Amino acid sequence: MSSVTQIAPTPVAPVVTRPRSRKRLRKAGWNLVALAVLIVMVFPVYWMVSTAFKPGRKILSYTPQWFPTHPTVGNFTDAVRQPFFWDAVRNSVIVTSVVVVLSLVLAFLAALALAKFRFYGRKAFIVVILGVQMVPLAALIIPLYITLARLKEVDKLSGVIVLYLTFVLPFAVWTLRGFLLGVPKELEESAMVDGCTRFGAFVRILLPLVGPGLVATSIFAFIQAWNEFIIAYVFLHTPERQTLMVWLASFTTLRGTDWGPLMAGATLCALPVVVFFLLVQRRIAFGLTAGAVKG
Amino acid sequence: MAELEFIHVNKVYGTDTTAVRDLSLHVGEGEFVVLVGPSGCGKTTALRMVAGLEEISEGTIRIGDRVVNNVSPKDRDIAMVFQTYALYPHKSVYENLAFGLRMRKVSKAEQRRRVEEIARKLGLADMLQRRPAQLSGGQRQRVAMGRAIVREPKAFLMDEPLSNLDAKLRVQMRAEIARIQQALKVTTLYVTHDQVEAMTMGDRVAVMRDGVLQQVDTPQRLYDAPGNLFVASFVGSPPMNLFEATVEHDGSRLVFGDARLELPADVVSERPGLRAYAGRHVAVGIRPEEVREASGWDGARVRGRVLLIEALGAEQLVHIEIAATPLERADLVDAVAADPGPSLGVEDLERSVTLLGRFDRPSSSRRAKRSRWRSTRECCTSSISRPASRCRRWTFPSPPESWGSDASRSRGSACRRDTRSRRRRGG
Repeated sequence: MSSVTQIAPTPVAPVVTRPRSRKRLRKAGWNLVALAVLIVMVFPVYWMVSTAFKPGRKILSYTPQWFPTHPTVGNFTDAVRQPFFWDAVRNSVIVTSVVVVLSLVLAFLAALALAKFRFYGRKAFIVVILGVQMVPLAALIIPLYITLARLKEVDKLSGVIVLYLTFVLPFAVWTLRGFLLGVPKELEESAMVDGCTRFGAFVRILLPLVGPGLVATSIFAFIQAWNEFIIAYVFLHTPERQTLMVWLASFTTLRGTDWGPLMAGATLCALPVVVFFLLVQRRIAFGLTAGAVKG
Repeated sequence: MAELEFIHVNKVYGTDTTAVRDLSLHVGEGEFVVLVGPSGCGKTTALRMVAGLEEISEGTIRIGDRVVNNVSPKDRDIAMVFQTYALYPHKSVYENLAFGLRMRKVSKAEQRRRVEEIARKLGLADMLQRRPAQLSGGQRQRVAMGRAIVREPKAFLMDEPLSNLDAKLRVQMRAEIARIQQALKVTTLYVTHDQVEAMTMGDRVAVMRDGVLQQVDTPQRLYDAPGNLFVASFVGSPPMNLFEATVEHDGSRLVFGDARLELPADVVSERPGLRAYAGRHVAVGIRPEEVREASGWDGARVRGRVLLIEALGAEQLVHIEIAATPLERADLVDAVAADPGPSLGVEDLERSVTLLGRFDRPSSSRRAKRSRWRSTRECCTSSISRPASRCRRWTFPSPPESWGSDASRSRGSACRRDTRSRRRRGG
């Protein structure tokens, strides 16, 4: 590149400025659009957090208060003291962790079979996996309820876990299959020639290489299970068995909404997702298979 | 170190796709054998069966004294270099090199000693901590080689290890691999589709086609005495000129186009089988370097027109159109069987063949440019009493007195094949 720059004659100033300034203008325009999108995305989150720190009367004032001038943690203590908060936390943690672990194990094994072995009906299976994701959730709620009711799984965490798995697994299998296909089979073969068993090659070579895929899948499963509302709301009746999202909805009553504690509760609920994401996101970033074969 | 042996090995995929058919091949201790053939000829499958990555449908493979048919890859004590190198991307160069040793429970200190020694030999010493992604193609290739060497296995298996390198690096690594193999004296089975690679590297070369072993011999013998038309057309670059001719006159004359080549009496007498071919079609093969200029030559001549001269510096390739019937047979390598294109000079004749000549004097090119350039060449025939086995061949190097009298000196070759069957099919 540099040699090209040297050879090229220095452009005459007026000819060059116009296109360059137009280019800059266009760039600035796009930046503004991006900024607007960012504000639209971030503002609700900011408003949630800032409301959580405002005392009650400031929340509903006619002149919006952009920044909590007298921050208070009262809303948080109120929220935590609400009935069934700790039950909801426990339930959410159980549901989410079981869904994440189970979906990772099952999806990985399923993806392995789909990516590495040829069997009758494989293509059809892959298409069906993709197809079931197209069915809208709302259309499934009633049939699912009837099915689970017959199995006596309504109002039980296990029932909800199974339902979440059915939604997480197709995506997880599909994603992991892509990652597994990205690992050249020569790597495993090479490991086997180098002295690994098939299982050893799988653990030492394949598993580390699909790490990013496992991370991406686990984030998806975590968010799905933690944030899900409709299924939990429909299937879990008893307050002791509700998850955090259903518990949050209990702030909205017939007499109105208690905004302060609601926002505090929402902030608390959002925290684990953010923390989990920050913990694992560094491992997604780069394609680990780079350099395995000719690049 | 150990010898390798295929004994009547078959590989069938599914129910009817045969990749390797009745392969019997012996690789001696410390020998470098190259499996070569066009893509899809079963050479890689054969190699993978030795590695244990492919099941053996029928037959036996031995490594040393042990039949390895049911031995898992890890217990065969062989090392394999893959076409794509297959370096572990999440491990550093050091870990890549040490992986096989670690799997074999070699002590840490010994691992370090051996890895460092190999790294020094291969010029990888200062990149041991890098990841494969940070290496160039040539460096990756050397890591892949190193990973095989460091194990000190019974045999090396190499699956087109050079095909991902650029032309210059390939020539360099070609020599390097051959040198390493000679230094270590490890039994090596090497797969390639590049016949130049095969000829330059192998102690012996095994040519395969459609899963069937065609011929195994030293590169020179393969070149001088190809066992069949396929080998004749596959080995050699540029490939041998092949065309049809008719044997006449009790086997002492070849006729093609308007050319009549008298075969010297001693050739005819030495090959009594040729007599049986009188009046029949045979395939004639002439190596490009055996084509000579006509000036100063009073033997048999073939007239042709120069279509193209490709100057390669030290030598040049001259495309000469002669009147003859091209060979159209399924067992030729495509390049040879290809249609010669529109005729430019030979008129009133049914068919023409482009004869490739290889000349080493630029001065000859000036003369070659004359429109009615005459090429003498020597022809060759074959005669053999054992039609299915190796053909004998001759060319006739310059002085006519020596024609055919000394088989070891002859370099061109030809194979006899009766082509009447093709004609009967309406070819």
